[in-house]
Amino acid sequence: MSEAAVRIAGMNKFYGRFQVLRDINLDVRSGERIVICGPSGSGKSTLIRCINRLEEHQQGRIDVLGTELNDDIGNIDHIRRDVGMVFQHFNLFPHLTVLENCTLAPTLARKVPVEEAEATAMTYLTRVRIPEQAAKFPGQLSGGQQQRVAIARALCMKPKILLFDEPTSALDPEMIKEVLDVMVELAQDGMTMLCVTHEMGFARQVADRVIFMDKGEIVEQGRPAELFDNPKNERTRTFLSQVLSH
Amino acid sequence: MQIFRNRKTRSVVYQVAFLAVFALVIFGAVHEATTKLAAQGMTSGFDFLQKSTGFRIGFSLIPFDPFDSYLQMLWVGFLNTIFLGILSIILANIVGLIIAVFRISSNGVLNDIGTLYIEAFRNVPLILQALFWYAALTHLPPPKQAYSLFDSIFLSARGVFVPSLNVEGQWFAAVALVLILGLAALAWFSMARRLRRVQNRPAIQIGIAGLTLATMVGILVYAREPGSDIVSVPALRGLNFRGGVTIPPELSALAIATAIYGGAYIAEVIRAGFLSVGKGQVEAARALGLSPWHVFSRVHLPLAIRAVLPTLINQYVWLFKATTLGIVVGFADFFSVISVSINQSGQTLELIAILMAGFLIMNNTLSFVLNRVNKAIALKGTQLRT
Amino acid sequence: MTAVSDMNTPSQSLNSGLQPDGLPARLRRRYFRTPGNAVISMVGMAALFYLAFHALDWAVLKAVWISPDSTSAVCRDIAGACWAVIQQRWRIIIFGLFPYDEQWRSMLACLVMVATIVLSCLPWSWRPLRLSILWCAGFLIFYVLMRGGLFGMRAVLPADWGGLTLTVFLYAAGVLIGMPMAIAMALLRRSDMPLVSRMTGALIDGVRSLPLITILFTAALIFPFVLPGWLQGDKIWRVIIGFALFFAAYQAEIIRSGIQSIPVGQEEAAKALGLSYWHRTGRIILPQAFRNALPPTINQLVITFKETSLIVIIGFFEILASGNAAYGTGEWSFAYFEVYIFVALVYFVFVFSLSRYGAYLERRMRFGQH
Repeated sequence: MSEAAVRIAGMNKFYGRFQVLRDINLDVRSGERIVICGPSGSGKSTLIRCINRLEEHQQGRIDVLGTELNDDIGNIDHIRRDVGMVFQHFNLFPHLTVLENCTLAPTLARKVPVEEAEATAMTYLTRVRIPEQAAKFPGQLSGGQQQRVAIARALCMKPKILLFDEPTSALDPEMIKEVLDVMVELAQDGMTMLCVTHEMGFARQVADRVIFMDKGEIVEQGRPAELFDNPKNERTRTFLSQVLSH
Repeated sequence: MQIFRNRKTRSVVYQVAFLAVFALVIFGAVHEATTKLAAQGMTSGFDFLQKSTGFRIGFSLIPFDPFDSYLQMLWVGFLNTIFLGILSIILANIVGLIIAVFRISSNGVLNDIGTLYIEAFRNVPLILQALFWYAALTHLPPPKQAYSLFDSIFLSARGVFVPSLNVEGQWFAAVALVLILGLAALAWFSMARRLRRVQNRPAIQIGIAGLTLATMVGILVYAREPGSDIVSVPALRGLNFRGGVTIPPELSALAIATAIYGGAYIAEVIRAGFLSVGKGQVEAARALGLSPWHVFSRVHLPLAIRAVLPTLINQYVWLFKATTLGIVVGFADFFSVISVSINQSGQTLELIAILMAGFLIMNNTLSFVLNRVNKAIALKGTQLRT
Repeated sequence: MTAVSDMNTPSQSLNSGLQPDGLPARLRRRYFRTPGNAVISMVGMAALFYLAFHALDWAVLKAVWISPDSTSAVCRDIAGACWAVIQQRWRIIIFGLFPYDEQWRSMLACLVMVATIVLSCLPWSWRPLRLSILWCAGFLIFYVLMRGGLFGMRAVLPADWGGLTLTVFLYAAGVLIGMPMAIAMALLRRSDMPLVSRMTGALIDGVRSLPLITILFTAALIFPFVLPGWLQGDKIWRVIIGFALFFAAYQAEIIRSGIQSIPVGQEEAAKALGLSYWHRTGRIILPQAFRNALPPTINQLVITFKETSLIVIIGFFEILASGNAAYGTGEWSFAYFEVYIFVALVYFVFVFSLSRYGAYLERRMRFGQH
């Protein structure tokens, strides 16, 4: 059995008095590919944002790559370098070129020499199939291209875990496929992935495990085939029927 | 440095350090000041405020003579600053409105005049304009050769002389108060949603207006100095004019300069507000078949006012502060009486403290009042403004 | 009407109401669309021509430009402007009391500072490093030239500096010191440590609710009391610190609103990449904040230039005071109008070009966004 990449135990999170996450227990093995789905407001984004501490949890314990997330600042910076994240709205830096977006963090946070960082960046840009856009600014690219740059940017830090926060929700339908293709390739290469997404086809194709969340709780989890074809919980069934019906 | 890796500890340490540096600076400054004052044999404290100043003040809203105390002089300056500030805001608003109309109008010549005005007056410092108007006003002919209008208004190097009522100052304050109350009541009555359904609204409005006017006239008639005409017209006696009210060149220079300069800024704010009203809303109003006047008065204007009000308030507050130029022309505003008092009494620290406190009070009161007005008028909820 | 014009005029998006036809038609639409409009136009034009004619008559046709005997005798009985006062006294207005033989230094220093300002308006220099080097170098050259005492130049104390050069110096020094202060104050106010952000906020709001003149006055009068002797420096530096503080308080709020208009996702993405606070701030937040805040920043710089004129009140001999001195002698005291117009023109040239530049930048940013 390989070591745990993420281990969440008895975690609770509140916004003021409102509880957004309720008693979350989740172990993710290294190399495991997890898809998290659920209705909006179910806390799925908040959950994966807790893993790189964009959100703080109040109770329970989160270990990422063997390090506990707490108020220790050194730990957090360290973990964030090893955990990549892809956002719904890409969040590329508009004042930097595509190439600079990819090399900024490696050169600043990992102290990689510039030439090496640029070579790595070009490798990953080639992998996401847009090396020719390297000198452009994000605003000059289409949504799908921007999201692929965002994935390349995350990969340039050579992360051990990748978090995807609804990476295709802000895209026009015809661009979703180009992003999903890149994600499928990544999954096949053995990257540890946690994806919040509603793309059920993607989940079936690559996920080792699908987690269904509602009202801040993990309601049900299992292999995609089990969960999609034979959901045990009523809430899961309702949600799936709504998602699959259109 | 293990504690520096913990976020909460580090935050506490930083804040304590910040506070310590701040306290140290304050302590050092106080220590230095007390040593120096002791060395110079100065007594600190506010006792000097009771001493008489030996100063004469050119323009004052309340009676003041050289035997009055420093406190009285500061009060005169305080009132003068408020008076000039409000006068400037009102005048600048009128000028700004006219220029804004020029700038928005569809007529090319009016546009050009507006642009010319704004570029000419906005790009020259206010203080230079104030000095210019002061020089121009004091170079008017002496009273004997004064320019006159209808033989009752006179322009001379000694100031502008206009007819007035034979009533003492405090009664004018009372009249102004009644007027403000009346206007406020009228505004509240016509704007408050709660009273929308009251019967006979026009009649009640006319009633309020009439009552206000009657009270004002009543006060003036009652307060008339016995045995004199109700109106006092200035007339040349010897080398100067007697009767009426004198507007000294110092006051006129500052009021003209701030009205012209502030007007240029306010015009641009108002124009931006009109341009910001979405085409869609105006077109929707037209599509509903409203007449051009109704489109303007019921849709365009109210939306524009709401759009400009926050910026306009900032302009008013800024203009109020900008009028603090009395010292360059010899108008006794708050800053210049403080400056004079420092020269006379040497109580620098105390007077600077009063200066700061005075301006903080004036400024915060003004922005508080204006922001309340804004809140009352602002659109409720978040609405699309495009 | 608009549909047609919109199709034909992609470049005229600013005035999409206009049809792209000849000048006469445009003029007609702008000035004589309806009879009422035509009447207003005629009256307005008549008034403008009347004013322009009188101004021209006074300022050019009937004016006296040169005084042959360096007295005001030539201006005795003229109906026009007496520009001879400028011809005779311009050195006072531009250089103040700077020693006559050394005034070339003042001139050169002023040109260096203006060149620095112009250079920093070029897009080439919009890099933090280049901008800092440019300003520090320009400022150093200026200071050495004015102060002297080096390279065989006679030392001239700041108390003898004056005129336009002093105005430009104050402005440059105030902005140069104020800008880093503004950035620091904006960041401190945004800090998540409540004590730090509250106290910075109180300082910023306090300064902003006082008129500039009270701050300059306080700086000139209070610092000698509360600072130990070794920290005091020349009076001009105390005033510059006050001036910089005032500029910084306004600029800090401009920067802060520039930061607030950056989407939250930017900071989150930078955090997720493991960038430290300083890297996030220096590479992601501030560059974007300055870009957002460029129009109000230029506006603030324009206002600040005009506000340098206030130091005349605390007894400095900047261009306004030297203007007063230029007509202050009995000889020229009638010529106040000409001197004020001259000084106003000097200000106008600076302020107008700065604000035109700001308008150009704003347009460029609106259309050329990438």
